[in-house]
Amino acid sequence: MMTLAARGLCVSARLAGHAVAVLRDLDFAIEPGKILGLVGESGAGKSMIGRVLARSLPSGFAVSGGSLDFHGADGKVSDLVAMDGAELAHLLGDRIAFIPQEPLTALNPLLTLRTQFGEHLARLGVPAGDRNARIIDALKQVRLSAPQSLLERYPFQLSGGMCQRVLIAMAFASNPALVIADEPTTALDVSTQATIVQIMRGLQRDHATAMLFITHDLRLAARVCDEIAVLYAGEVVERGPARIISQDPQHPYTRALQAANPPLRGPLTRLVTLPDQMPGLSALAGLTGCRFAPRCPTRDPSCAVASPELRLMAQGHWVRCAPACAGFRPAAPSIMRMSAEASASEPVLVVDTVAKHYPGKRDWMGRRGQGVDAVRTASLSVRPGEFVGVVGESGSGKSTLAKLIMGLEAPTAGRILIDGHDVTAASTATRSIRLGALQMVFQDPQSALNPRRPVVRLVTQTMEAARSCASDTERLARATALLAETGLPPELINRYPAQLSGGQKQRVNIARALCVTPRLLVADEIVSGLDVSVQAQILNLLLDLRTERGIGLVFISHDLAVVRYLCTRMLVMHQGLVVEEGETDAIFARPQHPYTRALLAAAPPDDLDSPWPPSGPAQETLDAMA
Amino acid sequence: MSLSPRAKAAWRRCLTNPRVVTGGVIIGLMAVMAVLAPWLAPHDPQEQDLLATLLPPMWSAGGEGRFPFGTDTLGRCIASRLMYGARIALYVAVVAATGAMILGTLLAIVAAYFGGWVDWLISRAIEVWMAFPPVVLALILLVGLGAGVNKVILAIIVIDWTRFCRVIRSEALVVMVRDYIAAAKLAGFSHRQIMLKEMLPAVLPLVITMMSIEMGIAVIVEAIMSFVGLSVEPDVPAWGVMIADARQTMHQAPWGVVLPVGAIFLAVLAFNLLGDGLRRALDTRLVLGRAEAA
Amino acid sequence: MAFLTLQLLFRRLVLAIPILLCVSALVFAILRLLPADPVGMSLPPGATAADYEKLKQAFGLDRPLFEQYLIWLGKLLSGDLGGSIFFRRPVNELIARALPATLELVSAGFALGVIIGGAGGLAMFAMRGGAGEHALDGATTIMMAIPEFLWAILLILFVGVSLQLLPFIGRLGPGIQLPPPVTGFLLVDSVLTGRWDSLRSALLHLILPATALAIGLAPLVMRVLRSSLLETVQDDYITQARLRGVSERRILLRHALPNAALPAISLIGVQGGFMFGGTVLVEMIFAYPGIGNLMVDAVRNHDLPVIQAVALVYCVLVLGINAVVDVAYMAVNPRLRLAGSR
Repeated sequence: MMTLAARGLCVSARLAGHAVAVLRDLDFAIEPGKILGLVGESGAGKSMIGRVLARSLPSGFAVSGGSLDFHGADGKVSDLVAMDGAELAHLLGDRIAFIPQEPLTALNPLLTLRTQFGEHLARLGVPAGDRNARIIDALKQVRLSAPQSLLERYPFQLSGGMCQRVLIAMAFASNPALVIADEPTTALDVSTQATIVQIMRGLQRDHATAMLFITHDLRLAARVCDEIAVLYAGEVVERGPARIISQDPQHPYTRALQAANPPLRGPLTRLVTLPDQMPGLSALAGLTGCRFAPRCPTRDPSCAVASPELRLMAQGHWVRCAPACAGFRPAAPSIMRMSAEASASEPVLVVDTVAKHYPGKRDWMGRRGQGVDAVRTASLSVRPGEFVGVVGESGSGKSTLAKLIMGLEAPTAGRILIDGHDVTAASTATRSIRLGALQMVFQDPQSALNPRRPVVRLVTQTMEAARSCASDTERLARATALLAETGLPPELINRYPAQLSGGQKQRVNIARALCVTPRLLVADEIVSGLDVSVQAQILNLLLDLRTERGIGLVFISHDLAVVRYLCTRMLVMHQGLVVEEGETDAIFARPQHPYTRALLAAAPPDDLDSPWPPSGPAQETLDAMA
Repeated sequence: MSLSPRAKAAWRRCLTNPRVVTGGVIIGLMAVMAVLAPWLAPHDPQEQDLLATLLPPMWSAGGEGRFPFGTDTLGRCIASRLMYGARIALYVAVVAATGAMILGTLLAIVAAYFGGWVDWLISRAIEVWMAFPPVVLALILLVGLGAGVNKVILAIIVIDWTRFCRVIRSEALVVMVRDYIAAAKLAGFSHRQIMLKEMLPAVLPLVITMMSIEMGIAVIVEAIMSFVGLSVEPDVPAWGVMIADARQTMHQAPWGVVLPVGAIFLAVLAFNLLGDGLRRALDTRLVLGRAEAA
Repeated sequence: MAFLTLQLLFRRLVLAIPILLCVSALVFAILRLLPADPVGMSLPPGATAADYEKLKQAFGLDRPLFEQYLIWLGKLLSGDLGGSIFFRRPVNELIARALPATLELVSAGFALGVIIGGAGGLAMFAMRGGAGEHALDGATTIMMAIPEFLWAILLILFVGVSLQLLPFIGRLGPGIQLPPPVTGFLLVDSVLTGRWDSLRSALLHLILPATALAIGLAPLVMRVLRSSLLETVQDDYITQARLRGVSERRILLRHALPNAALPAISLIGVQGGFMFGGTVLVEMIFAYPGIGNLMVDAVRNHDLPVIQAVALVYCVLVLGINAVVDVAYMAVNPRLRLAGSR
């Protein structure tokens, strides 16, 4: 007995007259009460399923084969692809429900929760008199406290986590046979993620719902799902029970994906990275044979000729790979973790109890509203060659701290010292001290790279500034050296940002910061927008820079695993305060502050036998935060 | 320096956009006609032929070949007057729109970049300006300045800088929060360098689009002012003057009104099409607005 | 809700006071600093220097500029707008007689423009991609390429002169008596006093000038509503509503339209203010006895007190309509409403 089954589903895009399969021969089946995880990096085609069902494929894209069979309660099997639109609309929201990726934009901003939830219940045929009670009941089930008071609220008055709970409650209101959750926790903080997953799983178990869980996070999928299908460039490369896929994957891509993810526990080894990135649409058009072959560490000439079929490895475990590859084991990587060898030297940067208060807006009478304490108080110091992590969730003040360090904002209290010079107040002198010692790598290369500058003029932008009038040949030479240092091919030198991939852009971003040979980089969430495999490349680049240049780093991130991989020391920020500071290993082993403990508990551990989502006091802290 | 692929693509999109091409061709033809008016026009625009007043265009009954578009109450050649009128219209369009563009863009970028009290002051000034219907402000400015084409140009600049400033300031504010502005600050760029090298190029597509629309507005404002007799000297032919003169005899000779109205329509249409096409080709987010002129 | 709206409106109007002060100073400065000589122009030919000085004193033009402004402002606040140099009548009286006519005209033009614009925008969206959309798009392009005053002339020429369908001079037909004045608004007074003949005539006289004004507003509303609808239907909550099986009709009317209307409303606020500017020439062309006509007469005769006063009245009207539309916008948008009531 199946709820949803895809049989040879193909979606093609038309590109310069050719049809390119962006989803090729997709096969899967979900039973009632089971969760199938669809795991893939961006561009793998994992969000196409949702678009096929919503009939909202981008223009030029179309289903070119196969079927998506939905088994109704009455035993009727209907193909969701071929089905008439009105009939499909009848199923949607009732038998098939969705949980979206961006909870904050998924609710109509002009309508109250009561109106929107009520509209849904009206469509389900709930009589008007019963709707209020049903809404309150549903909101209670997703553990929203004081549901009565939420009814007249608008979506923008709620946090992302609260909106997502409301959407989950709406999805399960009709007791659907199938729920499709498309990256339901990606837009949320780590601490919220655990709660959302717990609520979602609880409802799914109670209703024995079949669920399709789409995510980029293999570790999370291993926790949530019964079965996992790994997508690469529109193909399922490996499919099987969640435990097997996460513990003993057979396909080189799945293995690489796993190896690129820094662990939260156990010894740290240097991440193994794949070259390049997933082929885009135009690259796929010219690709014959195995789509993973160009990046595959074990490919042989035959891979480029024929596309391999899915082979059965064990009970329910399928791999799309030539027989020779599957047995491949990568060389055991070296164990790393250097002790803080530079601890004797004087710190490059000292941040001494800085604070940043943004005054509130004046109202119509000229009275000032309440301001925001973005950073209430924070101190840190960084020695040459030291990597310090700053961990916090959205609103913790970690990005404001970066701006204060860089002098992009002026602190309202405290001091900032570089090499012992006070640079708190902005002046020409302090600017030149900063320029010589500190540089920043920005979070979003899309926003940080001027789209109108070619790479050569981007990375050598500092040489263009007033005092140092560098010639074009000097700049070209410097740019070439910087590209080589950041692992970028030299032919990119005259390209524009729009012609670069996400990983390449972030390398350009780093290269620009290195131009003035700073001793300390401040990096604000520089890998959060990247896929795991590209993230690993960037992390390794930063480690290499430390070895070669002895450069220091203030690494701001929400991702505990990444901070653990890079940094010897770390700070935890919460609501503008540094709540914990110390050696990374010590904090991971013995977290002191309840917030740190909750944060650590919220991240899904690699070990599938340790319980997650957490229970007990950590869960209560998380619930209070979500 | 070679163009970036982005700029090249933008150029290609502009030159293949039917609206841009149509608008450009109409404006081009009008400009040629205006420049070559002394050679192309069949008559001197002031030359009166009191024996041939209110002649209809040559294609209708009673029309004469030597007055292709007919004559007005004083027997002046309408075709010649239209050509000479185009000189005034295009002169005002180019000079006034350029002036308003420069002043408005400059203040917009300065306001967005420095923020604080500079922005406060410029924003409040815009609010005060916006309280006036532009025609009313133009009328009182011309009462104060005295009539004349160059006074009209000055009035348009003084009034319409706000139109640029408002739109470009909000676009510049979007650019300001992009990290590449912060990156330029960290690279040691001076204020002037950031405004000229980073911000101006980013708002340029919008400036170009608005410039085209502003030229259409300037044509309208000039027509209004010459219609009420505050623009050109009485002996200079302008489209607005022609309409005002012909209005008296509209019952007998409707073409005397329809033809200059058609000329204004064609000029404004061309500038609007150009602007609309540029907006699409350069992908700027701008709502085309003409009615603000009146 | 009603109380809240009134409260918001009050606040918005309080905020307009400093702007109005700046506006009055600006008007005063332009008319006094610039090289116009109202005294010389209002003297009969052959007047002596003594006559000149006498008149100058009578108008108070011999005092320092700042003092003149304060005196003028003081009188303004007490409701005294001075006397017209040309009409030789108090300015108050002139404006009081002309203003209701303009307000009637603008209200009619505004309503017509919003209705045509809203319906046209919805129609363009409904016919998107088809021939109907192209036709309407072409119509907006033509409407926008001709300014109101030329529309006024064309309407008179084709509808008034050629087809003789509608009257186009003044507010009432010849031979029809004005209804006894109650409010000053012709339409209202006609209804109040049961004068159906003057109501009919006034309405017919309103059609052409109001249409000329509406043509300035309608195409912009159409375009903004269309493009904002196209954008809104791409929004996440629309997709989610569709995935919940909400009917397409309900999605459009309940979810897309209210969100898409927001930009159109704020555009109407700005353009509604500009519509008052359109009345200047339209009233003159239709010989419609409103403040626009008064303004043109005053400009032609360099009647400074009238020009000043009418310019200020225009600014008050613009700020007023901006405030009303702003408050309407806040009332529709809960985010602003809740922020505003805090």
